[in-house]
Amino acid sequence: MVSTETAAPVKETSIWTAVSKAFLWSFLICLGIVVVYPLLWMAMNGFKNNVQIFGDPFALPTHWSWQNYVRAWNQGVRDYVVVSVLVTVASAICTVMISAWTAFGLTRSKLPGKPIVLIVVLGGLMLSPTVALIPLVKMFQALGLYNTFWALIILYTAFRVPFTTFLIRAYMLDLPSELDEAATMDGASEGQRFWRIILPMCRPIIASCIILHVLFSWNEYIFAMVFTSGTDMTTLPVGLTAIMAKHGTDYSVVFAAMTISALPIVIIFFATQRYFIRGLAEGIGK
Amino acid sequence: MVGVALKQVKKSYGNHEVLHGIDLNIDPGEFIVFVGPSGCGKSTLLRVIAGLEEMTSGELRIGGRLMNDVPPAKRGIAMVFQSYALYPHMTVYDNMAFSMKIAREKKAKIDARVRQAAEILQLTPYLNRLPKALSGGQRQRVAIGRAIVRNSEVFLFDEPLSNLDAALRVATRIEVAKLKESLPDTTMIYVTHDQVEAMTLADRIVVLKDGCIEQVGTPEELYREPTNLFVAQFIGSPAMNLLAARIEETGPKTLIAYANGTRMQVPVLTPASAKGAAVDIGVRPEELRITEGEHIFEGVVDYAEYLGEVQLVYFKTEDEAHPFIAKLPGNVHVERGARLKLGADAESLHVFDVEGRAFRGLDGAGSEEAERASVAATILEK
Repeated sequence: MVSTETAAPVKETSIWTAVSKAFLWSFLICLGIVVVYPLLWMAMNGFKNNVQIFGDPFALPTHWSWQNYVRAWNQGVRDYVVVSVLVTVASAICTVMISAWTAFGLTRSKLPGKPIVLIVVLGGLMLSPTVALIPLVKMFQALGLYNTFWALIILYTAFRVPFTTFLIRAYMLDLPSELDEAATMDGASEGQRFWRIILPMCRPIIASCIILHVLFSWNEYIFAMVFTSGTDMTTLPVGLTAIMAKHGTDYSVVFAAMTISALPIVIIFFATQRYFIRGLAEGIGK
Repeated sequence: MVGVALKQVKKSYGNHEVLHGIDLNIDPGEFIVFVGPSGCGKSTLLRVIAGLEEMTSGELRIGGRLMNDVPPAKRGIAMVFQSYALYPHMTVYDNMAFSMKIAREKKAKIDARVRQAAEILQLTPYLNRLPKALSGGQRQRVAIGRAIVRNSEVFLFDEPLSNLDAALRVATRIEVAKLKESLPDTTMIYVTHDQVEAMTLADRIVVLKDGCIEQVGTPEELYREPTNLFVAQFIGSPAMNLLAARIEETGPKTLIAYANGTRMQVPVLTPASAKGAAVDIGVRPEELRITEGEHIFEGVVDYAEYLGEVQLVYFKTEDEAHPFIAKLPGNVHVERGARLKLGADAESLHVFDVEGRAFRGLDGAGSEEAERASVAATILEK
């Protein structure tokens, strides 16, 4: 008697747990489909021709041919990818290095007037790129940087430094100050403390910042369109619009080009997502 | 061998002074322990010696050399931190070698020194592990190893055992004592709030309170002859009991009368001016015994903690926060609610004036001081 009375609530609880789990799984699967399906659909249509795309847009390709991908690659995507990679890598390195040094200064040095410096740096978060566009064009033209890689590298760095500094600073605040003191006792200079102790310990947040920066600069459109004009200076987002204009009716090539442009981001994100989540959670959560 | 000398060392944070002019001479090769309650300034004092905090005024000399403006790394000291402060991304080997790598020493020399330190601390099998793969005790040994590798003449320990569990703390404490024996030329300064650590490790103990030194002495001196009420109650566990009394007769042997009417002659020197003064009589729990005759305390047992060999018996007092405690043999049967009389030898009693200063016995005072006090007491009585 006693045993049945105690068993009943356990059974009820397990049913509700199972039901809620089923709901959760269904919701997550639906969410996954909503996110992944458009990407798969886009990649799949890169294997079809126009007739198949319009005739049966949701069907699988009848034969798997890489022809559209090769055409897209040869008709400019290759050059756009090279430019995008160059600008993204250079600006990511600059952003992370400048931000990490700034965060180090703001958290682990005896810098006078730290709150003011912090306000100035974080104030950059409020600066809208669109508002600053015209003065920036004038400035870059005057400096002879217009239509150069440097224009994009400098702009991407400048506009991402505040947010990246904010993230790295939050992470560094959690690192115990005794590490700096131990390094100081060991004879390390401020630079050695940064390079050999603090920076290696910030790897999770640095990885997160790099991913966030890559997502931003890989997809950035306005600066890339305004500050560059020649085909040898075109990044992928601007290049894709050019391809769409050029092959406006050849959707299979456009889909192939879009898939190629999205692929690196998807691969990077999935390869580093554990790092990405850990870095962000550790930095702000504690 | 180098000693450490502090002269009128003060430290303030803004308007708040935390060290009020510390004067202290630490002999070469000495193991000295700073002890005191939280916030007494013991860690700050250690950090001032390390150079991690700048002193507001005063002088610090290590090996006779003025160190006020010398950066921490050049003071010839090594420090073991409370939280170990190991570099988590480096192996045990790299952690220990870091200071020598920074100093651009030759690889062979670094390797030899690290392996030698690892051998002393039995860390050789763990040299290639990261700190996260070590136990708390092993991490603490790495932190000590890092200090050994630096070949410093002064070691500073900032509560190094406080993160360890009780059993490991005892084991590591013994290791620290052995380490001191193996490095007799090294001066060691150790901060702790644990008086057992202080008593077992120290050549001399410095008791601090509110940024001032209360007493400096060997563990036995502090236990037997505390100079004031604070030291008397801080050293010894459970703390010393206090009883209100009055001085009836002064001199080399003082006659005191307890509130319960008991009179007792205590071998403590008091000046004639102290006659009739209210005093606190201090008696350690371990000096008390159950008696049927002349007693200094009578009370009702509140509860008893049986510890095997001994038992701590708590008696009810008017002040509930400070029960009267007796450490009695474990084989004595004590019932809760029982009324007991407790006595103690006159030699084990301490007498404190209203300001908490101890009257010293003729043996306890320095010979010159004792003689002067004895003469003064005699003259005053005449």
